[in-house]
Amino acid sequence: MNLLREELSWITPELCLTLFACVALLVDLFVQKGRESVMVGFFSLMGLLATAFFLYRQYGVTPPAQPVFGCMVVDPFSTLFKLFAVGALAFVVLFTMLSRQTRPDGYGEFYFILLCAGLGAFFLASTYNLLLMYLGLELLSIASYILAGYAKGNRRSGEAAMKYVIFGAVASGVMLYGFTLLYGMTGSIDLTVIGPKLRDQFALDHGTIPISVATGLCLAGFAYKISAAPFHFWTPDVYEGAPTPVTTFLAVASKGAGFAALLRFLQAGFIPDRTLGGPEAMMGYSDKLGTLVAVLAALTMTLGNLAALGQTNLKRMLAYSSIAHAGYVLMGVATMNREGFSSVLFYLVVYYFMNLGAFGVVMYYANTTGDEQIDDLKGLGWRSPLVAITMVAFLVALVGLPPTAGFIGKWFLFTAAVKKGFLWLAVVAGINSAISLFYYFRVARAMWLRPEEEAKYATVHASPAFAALLLVLAVGTVWFGVGFDSLLRYCDYSQNLLR
Amino acid sequence: MIANHLLTWITFIPLLGMLAILLAPATQKALIRGLAVVATAIPLGLSLYLWLTWGAVNGGSAQLQYVERVPWIQAGNFLVQYFVGVDGLSMPLVALTCLLMFIGVFASWNIERGMKGYFALLLLLEVGINGTFVSLDIFLFYVFWEVMLLPMYFLIGIWGGPRKEYAAIKFFLYTLAGSVLMLVAIVALYLITGTFAIASYTEGGQNMPGLLELARTKQITGANLVAGGVLMGVSFQDWMFWFFFIAFAIKVPIFPFHTWLPDAHVEAPTPISVILAGILLKLGGYGMFRIGFPIAPESFEKFRTLLAVLGTINIVYGAYVAMGQTDFKKLVAYSSVSHMGYVLLGAAAMTDWGVKGAVLQMFNHGTSSAMLFLIVGVIYDRAHHRELNGFGGLVTQMPYYGGLTTLGFFAALGLPGLAGFISEALTLLGSFKTYPTLTVISCLGVVMTAAFLLFAFQRVFQGPLNPKYAKLPDISGREVFCQAPFAFLCVLFGVLPTLILDILNPAVKQFLLLFPA
Repeated sequence: MNLLREELSWITPELCLTLFACVALLVDLFVQKGRESVMVGFFSLMGLLATAFFLYRQYGVTPPAQPVFGCMVVDPFSTLFKLFAVGALAFVVLFTMLSRQTRPDGYGEFYFILLCAGLGAFFLASTYNLLLMYLGLELLSIASYILAGYAKGNRRSGEAAMKYVIFGAVASGVMLYGFTLLYGMTGSIDLTVIGPKLRDQFALDHGTIPISVATGLCLAGFAYKISAAPFHFWTPDVYEGAPTPVTTFLAVASKGAGFAALLRFLQAGFIPDRTLGGPEAMMGYSDKLGTLVAVLAALTMTLGNLAALGQTNLKRMLAYSSIAHAGYVLMGVATMNREGFSSVLFYLVVYYFMNLGAFGVVMYYANTTGDEQIDDLKGLGWRSPLVAITMVAFLVALVGLPPTAGFIGKWFLFTAAVKKGFLWLAVVAGINSAISLFYYFRVARAMWLRPEEEAKYATVHASPAFAALLLVLAVGTVWFGVGFDSLLRYCDYSQNLLR
Repeated sequence: MIANHLLTWITFIPLLGMLAILLAPATQKALIRGLAVVATAIPLGLSLYLWLTWGAVNGGSAQLQYVERVPWIQAGNFLVQYFVGVDGLSMPLVALTCLLMFIGVFASWNIERGMKGYFALLLLLEVGINGTFVSLDIFLFYVFWEVMLLPMYFLIGIWGGPRKEYAAIKFFLYTLAGSVLMLVAIVALYLITGTFAIASYTEGGQNMPGLLELARTKQITGANLVAGGVLMGVSFQDWMFWFFFIAFAIKVPIFPFHTWLPDAHVEAPTPISVILAGILLKLGGYGMFRIGFPIAPESFEKFRTLLAVLGTINIVYGAYVAMGQTDFKKLVAYSSVSHMGYVLLGAAAMTDWGVKGAVLQMFNHGTSSAMLFLIVGVIYDRAHHRELNGFGGLVTQMPYYGGLTTLGFFAALGLPGLAGFISEALTLLGSFKTYPTLTVISCLGVVMTAAFLLFAFQRVFQGPLNPKYAKLPDISGREVFCQAPFAFLCVLFGVLPTLILDILNPAVKQFLLLFPA
């Protein structure tokens, strides 16, 4: 009984989130029509706050030696991801409350599904168990499919959901197949067991073909989730068609959770313990895998950037930009070492801030004008200076210029890549950053370089609440570019304990 | 308190000014202008103090002065410091920046549209420029270096001429493309040496060698990063050298990276052109002297003949293209390309005189080109075009303006007795020892410069007065005030060059010591 209570206490955040998801569903039944958005949103926020509180309490406490219930790992790595998933969810909830796009009906369900998706992200980030990882992935994905098609009656939204389902089903099937192969080879679904077993297999030198097939299939699944090339084709259509708050969720929380799972998968299964000295063959295999990821990274960022150059729709441009950013982050993954993974964590945190902000501005703009074209932003800077100034901060961070967090994030990715010997990758990423300036600053150009007289829409001031949200994100974006040492230590610490 | 943190005050007072301006209501135009004046006047005053007490403080040594060093980011082995200081190389440029910005505010008096944003960006630009000059930590240097880009983009893009959008993004893209190469080089440097400090310092009684010291003692080989320090058949040092060189060459700009400059200059509003030519170009040259060359001394030795050739191309080609211009501003822009060639030629020569001439040329071009762009601004404000052939005989109508223009033109073409002559003569004398042929070719540039400037003067000021402009008012008091300091400096350093050469001397000697004999 005591054991059960102790184990339960480790998953309080998950329990709390589940509870509030149900509460959100119930509250919807009792509030009067027309007030659902505010009330249910409010309860969801409370739930997220409570979850964040429980997560915060877990940080710094010595994590349990064994996975809770045999499958849930509670360590600073997962806590970091969960905290940011909660943060991202909170922003998405707030965006939804302030948005008019998801109207008119079914508010409670929307928040319920959103929180469930968050729960999926929680599981995805905190397990070495392939089965739970798959369940987490599916929970997150299925919830996302529904969310993507939430704007009922909107054809694009429906199309987005449909595409997302089909791509997602194929990808998760492929991934599941990879998992089964791993299980067949090692007889376990626990990555902490699979890792040593694979090591033995490498030592026996049976050849790497079966392992390569299994790894390849799994990586394809992850690549789909983080929208890396060549599995990125769904991204622009889904991002463009889905309601903006949902797009924000997909671009930020969903992608982040995908990366968390990918890091765990690689770390536990495929990175030999260099201090103990794994078998030669495994070292070689790990490096080869790294090179493969490096090539994918270069491909992803280049494709994303080049495609983004020609976009006229703001959301679609940001979708391609998020593909490019997945490429940058993969640079850190390609190093297949602690330092590189640490830089991935850092970049993801930075990525949360700048993308939440950029999508927030898109939402404000789409809400007030019903328009998502970049060129129609003309003169916005003179009409709504505050929103436009924060947008410039996000854009600068997305390009990766100091003094914003985007630069620092890229700095660590570059450092990790060059240290591993991927100088060519750093140069490719550098050139890509320079290219990205061109399309990001088309937005700045439209907002500021066109005179006020050309503005297409009359002044619509952002509501104080919304302006405050954007300011918080902008200040975060700049702050982590100047005083980033605490975040750096936190990411390094989280990485240290990742087994 | 101020004396201990002099450089910090100089760098960050404009930032305070920027925040104050952002908080001020947009309708209070006088208040905003006043804030901009104050926020640029204080750094100007402090930098004057810096200059005037330099001999007393420094006593002719090459040591870095007014050094401040505190950890900025510290996590494990990762240590970025707020490490600033000036020597004879950077101090005159800091002072020049402060002066140009102060004048820039007055030259911007007529800006009405979005003036709040304009002055805020102008002050942010000053933070970036001064920060770059005083940084002794390469990470800090890079941050300041990039901070400059954004304000410049908007200053050209919002307040510029008809093709401003094209010019602004071209400027941004060119500079950024160079910077990312520099970033990769900085990352590699950090991984090799584990330090960001450019200059050496002592920590707890222990000497911590900076990057330049490590480079001088041949400790930056890259062998610990790539096997044998050779990557794709090119030595690691060479890679680094070219990465830095291209980044700085784009800024200078060195042929063939110069094509952004005429566009940016032509489209930018007058004060921004002044700052661009007066100071921003010098950042490229300064970067080469401070980091680019001494970080890879052997590569520099290997390639310096090529650099001298590039410098010569700049001088001759810039002047040649300037001869063909009919747009007054474009002519001045290409004259900048030509003049900045001396910096590269003198540096490549590696003689005491050559380097001294090159460094002095940076300062002198800062004053003379600022004056030239102000001169163009005066006529553009009145006639609203810059077509050289559209004027004529203005000297009778605007005698004071004609007089100042004469002074500016002669300073730019290197008339003895004015500042430009000293630096160009020093550069050419210094490089003749090393590269006689190239120096002789460069002298062609001097002749061509005289030709296009005098020809331009003839077209604008002499001949019959164009009746369209028979009622143009002469130069106003504010405009004279803007040009006077530069005119004064052109004369002063032409007559008494020792005033500035005494400051440069020790720094140049120190610079030459960074290279193997």
